[in-house]
Amino acid sequence: MSADTDTQASGDTQASTDTQASGDADRDAGARPDAAGSRRSADAYRAEIRAFIAEHGVPMPAEGVRVPRDAEHEREIRAWLAALYAGGHLGAGWPVRWGGRADHLPVHDLVLMEELILGDAYRPLDQVMLAAHTLIAFGSEEQKRELLPKIRSGEHIWCQLFSEPEAGSDLAALRARARPAPDGDGWLVSGQKIWSTDAQWADMGTLLARTDPDVGRHAGITAFAIPMNLPGMDIRPIREMTGHAEFCEVFLDDVRVGPEHVLGEVNGGWKVVTSGLASERAFVGANSVQLERMFTDLVTIARAARFDDGSAALDHEDVQAKLAEALYRVEEVRLIVRDTVERILLDEEHPSDGPVGKLAFTELNVALTELAMEIIDSAVTIDPSAADVSARLHHNFLWGRAMTISGGASEIMRGLVGRQLLGLPRA
Amino acid sequence: MGWPTLAGIGLPAFCVPEERGGFGLRADAAAASATELGAALHGAPFAGLTASAHALAQITGDAVVDELLEGILGGERICAFGRLSPDDGTGTRTARQVDGAPAADALLLLDPRRERALLFTDPADWQSRPLTDSFDVSRSGADVTVPVGAGRELELGALGHAVELYHLLLAADALGSVRRMLDRTVAYAAQRHTFGRPIGATQAVQHRLADHAVRARGMSLLVAEAVRHFDPAASGDTAPPDEGGGIARWVSLAGLSVSSGAPHLLHDLLQLTGGIGFTWEYGLHFHERRVRQDARLAANPRAALRSLVLSEGWTNVR
Repeated sequence: MSADTDTQASGDTQASTDTQASGDADRDAGARPDAAGSRRSADAYRAEIRAFIAEHGVPMPAEGVRVPRDAEHEREIRAWLAALYAGGHLGAGWPVRWGGRADHLPVHDLVLMEELILGDAYRPLDQVMLAAHTLIAFGSEEQKRELLPKIRSGEHIWCQLFSEPEAGSDLAALRARARPAPDGDGWLVSGQKIWSTDAQWADMGTLLARTDPDVGRHAGITAFAIPMNLPGMDIRPIREMTGHAEFCEVFLDDVRVGPEHVLGEVNGGWKVVTSGLASERAFVGANSVQLERMFTDLVTIARAARFDDGSAALDHEDVQAKLAEALYRVEEVRLIVRDTVERILLDEEHPSDGPVGKLAFTELNVALTELAMEIIDSAVTIDPSAADVSARLHHNFLWGRAMTISGGASEIMRGLVGRQLLGLPRA
Repeated sequence: MGWPTLAGIGLPAFCVPEERGGFGLRADAAAASATELGAALHGAPFAGLTASAHALAQITGDAVVDELLEGILGGERICAFGRLSPDDGTGTRTARQVDGAPAADALLLLDPRRERALLFTDPADWQSRPLTDSFDVSRSGADVTVPVGAGRELELGALGHAVELYHLLLAADALGSVRRMLDRTVAYAAQRHTFGRPIGATQAVQHRLADHAVRARGMSLLVAEAVRHFDPAASGDTAPPDEGGGIARWVSLAGLSVSSGAPHLLHDLLQLTGGIGFTWEYGLHFHERRVRQDARLAANPRAALRSLVLSEGWTNVR
């Protein structure tokens, strides 16, 4: 691979694994509670959010699937997101003047995400969070006043226009050009973006485009916050192996953007995209709940998968052994996640924690789904009571592969671990 | 540093109750010591001796046991730890791979099928044959033969957490080798140049080391979690109150993780050091040989695996 591969996670869905210290100067500083106080507060919050989800929650279509089925579904999702913001659940860590809670603790973010997963409730993509934090840190006063309330009301769904066909992990290779408009009013943007999650129903997008091709690769990029219905934009969903269409390619053909759309400074876009602003870093802890659920599904399917002689897969020693091997890997990765969350909550995170956790979680997840397929495929019948579990495992078998790529491919993560944790030279 | 010196600073006493002259049940200190002994390739018979001392300390009002325990805590006596083969009617029984056996003057041998352990305190009662098939040159061990009917019978259930401690400390020992050799191999990969650059600057090497570092962290955390379950008081009020089942489950998980993972991990580190891989006496080899012996003493991954299958309730599901 090229020697100058960028180290940051690629743009799409990156927020939860970002490792840099927060650059959010606007963030409220609060006294750090002791562990016991934090735990009491977390327990109380868990009860609150669990009841809230039980009463108002909108279900998740399938793991990793966020695009609404139809207009009615979209209305439900937007209303649910608005309720999460209004209830002080999402965006709780924002500055108080933009709607955050004065009594917010990072552990609440962990509890929120765990309960959304346990309650099978629709949850927003990390990048939606990133858009908000980018606005808070880099947006002008006007942009914040105009755009932040619309995120909270569910009126604005955001997407990212980062990756390109020839700029994925190596994001700084992006070629979308923003040329000064001939009439002197702003820029005309042309180029092709790809792997933009939610672009087909997003109202706003964070666009990266090259405003100055004559300086270093990182120096000539500008970030723009733009409406997704500007003239010259063509948004085409991409159907994925799961059968769903979460990603889009977005063609831009002389799309006119103005100075009012610039996020941060002109030619300062690299700083905007790499500053790792997601303050909901504790969301990563929810991976532990995901693994626990996945393992429960595995045992369920091993009980439900029947051979010719009527025996269940789980009756057989080879299957028991494979499950035992899977179990210690699950517990290893759950402990890695817990260890990371403990450091996040103490604000003692190491830059390599995110990459270590993402690599461990996403790769084990794929291995577990492969074991599930092995058990399912070896069976003559599957007990009908496990039909839902079987369908979920099939979906995750396909979807799990996306997670080893999005938010920074496993190879990028290994490079980050090699450099940031092991101190090895750049490969 | 020899064993009497280490005994002098309290190593045999970590898992012996205070009223018997020890420190209580300090699985944390014992595991940390095992990890350091492993990292140092130390020859101390630590895992078996710690398990034996813990077991003996559960027996009260027995002058022979009292004297033996006192000798162990003082560093003068060594009680080895092992597992007996079934009685096959030949008049003798064998315990293979007894940790610390050649130097021992007492033996505690488990007889799990009969829910018993046998204690031998007179070296005239057994014959030991140094291991000829052991990779490990840093510690000694032996196969031991005892006559049927000899030895003092103890109830296995009355020996506290001796078996779990033994497996935990073997895992902790191998973890020491994993950590030490990972550090050394990473340092080597940054120094060793081929084709004009450090081998650690190639993805073929760096990415494998990254995977090993992640795996090593998982092993470390599992061992630490197993340790934590020995001390419910220290586990904080988020954890459910812990019973023996929790300890057995977490020790099985840690044992399975380390005994199935460490040998392969060390072997790959050997591979990453290139030409050194032709020999068998470089430090890395001694560590690989030691972790393989740790796995064998713990009956390899299969014992932990079967124990886990049982504790998860996957057998006899119908």
